[in-house]
Amino acid sequence: MVQRTLEKLAAIKRGEISAADSVAAALELIEKKDKKINSFIELNQNARADAESLDRKIKGGKKVGRLAGLVIGIKSNINVAGLRATCASRTLENYTSTYDADVVKRVRAEDGIIVGMNNMDEFACGSSGETSAFGPTDNPAAFGHITGGSSSGGAAAVAANFCDICLGTDTGGSIRNPASHCGVVGFKPTYGLVPRQGLIDLGMSLDQIGPLSRDVAGAALMLETIAGKTGNECVMLDVGKVNYSEKLESKGLNGMKVGISPKFSELTDPAVMDVIDSQVEKLQDLGAEVVDVELPNLEHGLSAYYLIVSVEFFSGTRKFDGRKYGKRIEEACGEEVLRRILRGRYISQKEYRGKFYQRALQVRTLIRKELMSALKQVDVIVGPTVPKLPHKLGAKLSLMEMYAYDYLTIPANLAGICAGVIRAGEVNGVPVGLQIQGKALGELDALQVMRSLEAIE
Amino acid sequence: MNIKIGFEVHQQIDTRRKMYCDCPTNYHDVPPNTNVCPICTGMPGSKPLPPNQRAVEAAIEIALMLGCKTITDQTVYIQRKHYDYPDLPSGYQRTSLPIARDGELHGVRIREVHLEEDPGQYEPVAGNVDYNRSGVPLVEIVTEPDMKSPEEARKFLRMLIRVLEYTGKVRPEAGGAMRTDVNISLEGGGRVEVKNVNSVKGAYRALKYEIIRQREKLKRGQDITRETRAFLESQMVTVPMRTKETEEDYRYIPDPDIFPLILDETKVKTTRSRMAEPPHLREKRLMEKYDIPHAAAEVIVSERGLADLYEAVAEEADPKLAATWFQTRLKKVLNFMKLGAAEVKFTPAQLASLLRIVKDKRVTPEQGELVLREMARKPADPEEILLGLGLAPLKKSELTAAVEKAVEENPKAIEDYLAGKKEAMNFLTGKVIGFTKGRANPRDVTKLLLARIKQKDKS
Amino acid sequence: MSERAKEIEKSAEEIVESFVKDAEKLPELKETYYSQETYNITRPDGEPSPEAERLSFRRKFISNMPGSDDKGNLKVEVAKWSKER
Repeated sequence: MVQRTLEKLAAIKRGEISAADSVAAALELIEKKDKKINSFIELNQNARADAESLDRKIKGGKKVGRLAGLVIGIKSNINVAGLRATCASRTLENYTSTYDADVVKRVRAEDGIIVGMNNMDEFACGSSGETSAFGPTDNPAAFGHITGGSSSGGAAAVAANFCDICLGTDTGGSIRNPASHCGVVGFKPTYGLVPRQGLIDLGMSLDQIGPLSRDVAGAALMLETIAGKTGNECVMLDVGKVNYSEKLESKGLNGMKVGISPKFSELTDPAVMDVIDSQVEKLQDLGAEVVDVELPNLEHGLSAYYLIVSVEFFSGTRKFDGRKYGKRIEEACGEEVLRRILRGRYISQKEYRGKFYQRALQVRTLIRKELMSALKQVDVIVGPTVPKLPHKLGAKLSLMEMYAYDYLTIPANLAGICAGVIRAGEVNGVPVGLQIQGKALGELDALQVMRSLEAIE
Repeated sequence: MNIKIGFEVHQQIDTRRKMYCDCPTNYHDVPPNTNVCPICTGMPGSKPLPPNQRAVEAAIEIALMLGCKTITDQTVYIQRKHYDYPDLPSGYQRTSLPIARDGELHGVRIREVHLEEDPGQYEPVAGNVDYNRSGVPLVEIVTEPDMKSPEEARKFLRMLIRVLEYTGKVRPEAGGAMRTDVNISLEGGGRVEVKNVNSVKGAYRALKYEIIRQREKLKRGQDITRETRAFLESQMVTVPMRTKETEEDYRYIPDPDIFPLILDETKVKTTRSRMAEPPHLREKRLMEKYDIPHAAAEVIVSERGLADLYEAVAEEADPKLAATWFQTRLKKVLNFMKLGAAEVKFTPAQLASLLRIVKDKRVTPEQGELVLREMARKPADPEEILLGLGLAPLKKSELTAAVEKAVEENPKAIEDYLAGKKEAMNFLTGKVIGFTKGRANPRDVTKLLLARIKQKDKS
Repeated sequence: MSERAKEIEKSAEEIVESFVKDAEKLPELKETYYSQETYNITRPDGEPSPEAERLSFRRKFISNMPGSDDKGNLKVEVAKWSKER
């Protein structure tokens, strides 16, 4: 497979395409096609000017950043000064960001051109891309189906070729789930690797910002751009700059040990599992050793996750009281957002804390232990990203049916490990993504497995 | 009447940066919402910076000053305390679990000490909020309800303020740097909490008002239910504050955005050895070491700078004389010149030298005070000042000559004295003192005069 | 609370009940609050932030305010208990 991101970067550096043309082409395409897809909430009026300024830099022979000229989309829960961080909600529909999130500062420093704010599930409370106050997002890889969520707009923008790389966020699968449904690359970094200053969290102890891209090279470049300690917030890993691009090779996987759990097929739709199985065969062809790992309590992570995330979300939304900016959230938000606030409020009461919140944190320990222990035996764990195919837009699902999409992605958030998704195949034209989970700070191994599979496509 | 009074004191810690962001901590002389940033105004997505180290250390010192045991074996989480109020930008206040427990100050038990951050300033009548103060580090000191009267409570608060000042790490009391919630219950009735009283005087008045108000209620046969009230400074009354909507359940959770603290035993020991001695302990030690009375010791420790000066001086001059001087004349001079002891420019050596001169009776205490005043105004060696003031120590020969002169020039007075008129001695003494320009000691003069007159009489 | 909100609250509690059932047989372990065991991350006191930065933020802060006065105060509700006097 051609590494399009790297090719484009090289072409821009050589002067074959200008950053201005790159951005103009993107904006034209968005203008033509995004009404149907709805992957953007707001476009950046300064994008063209930013691109022109970069072109002058390039012409002047000055050193440019690793993202020079690439078209970048930012999820609407990340602060970009001057643009609205709406979180796809009426609550913040008029909140113009007063500062740049740290990841945005880094993207700008590497000369990425931000074209706009991507659509998402409202306040990241969803896995389908249908709950935005600004309308649902359609799946460019399978029109009429959901994109998945909550980073619905970012995945769609990459799938539709509007953007080269988008920044999404992942609390329980919100980067990986839409990456799988839209057939693009998605990556959730190890918890604490990427700064969250400026991210309007769903769950503070679970969220990470990560890339959605058309290829592994793009994801690696973006991770290198945004990862590393800043000193500008408290809860971060003590890790400096990271380097993946120079180490990734289109090579075999001899010596790599890959784990897969029988639990996966228990929980997953057979049609989806077939696609996964054929990818696992390819891994063996590439020389990897595939072994079984035990994850006996995997499915118990789901309800524990929803309790923890509700408490943290309730806490984080207390600032949306309508006094300083925006509206009071309870008065302006959608159903699922209100549900999580009320759930969080209920669980965090003094008399229930032990029974619910603390108990959920104990289950978290259990899931974490299992996953970490499995990862001691292997380098990565592979499997399906979602247990079933994305439903059609407008289909009515029960709450539990909706939450069930998250079974296989939640454990990585509970444990804080890294996990990436790459397109594995399709079922009746609907994309299926392979999930590769790595150890904490095991990004390189996970990316390498993804790269090797990508290279033989 | 069975009265129980307790305090929850919030004291601002003296730092340059706020607790969780780098904004300046000055909120008095700047326009509203100037010393603010996305963190202390609760902007969407803002995350706290790591806690201010100086604030943490100051809280530990304060806890040690109050005789508390620090919590060194448990995780101290910084928690989110959720409630809805206009001055709270994030809808929760970051407050730590206790860093120390079980202290005592002058008979009042200290239940716990922990770290907090100040909310912004809400002007409830105008409906204004200024976040300049939001995020300033606070230490909270919670007492047991051990005080039994407003007078006892007032005394305790004054003592507490002095102890806090001794650390040198808190902001001076003026300007709302210390605020206290006052808790009072009468005759086992419900606890009434009066929030955010800004001064010792205010606390005293609030307590007096509450006692009257609650007594009246009891007289009318009504129960005192547990409630929260506000103190209206201008009218010296308390009014009900919390309505039913406000929840009491703060839904505490450890803040996921701040790593917890674990206090290190070794670090605490180092802090204890380095910190200033608490005033109540210093008072005791000074009394024992220098054998000085309690009244003097009490004055000396009232200001840390004064106590430091005393101990330096006591090394080189008579400690007992020094104590008397510190208690009276020095205090008088400092008050007159509106100087704090830490601000004086003369050295302990200079003061000690002056005290030695006084002890040697080369000047009178009154003259000594003049020298002291001069020394405070413009520091110099006391010997020089004496010369400058014309108060050069009186030589024996000068005194003898003056006595001689008075005797020669006033024969009538001598006759009167010998005839039995005692007032004549006063007259003669006055003359001698005049000749010596006030430097002679009246008792010495009288002694010499008597001797000279006797001598003359014999011849 | 409105009807809608009441319904939502009921459905919110559904998953809580299912969790309790689900977790019944699982062992009691130490709670995981943070993804990593790290303590005592503090920062030194020192020079405050540059004024220019704060001035720039202040402009944006005030422009987002639903109500402000000419001095830059945020306008909010008047306290009920202060109205009584």
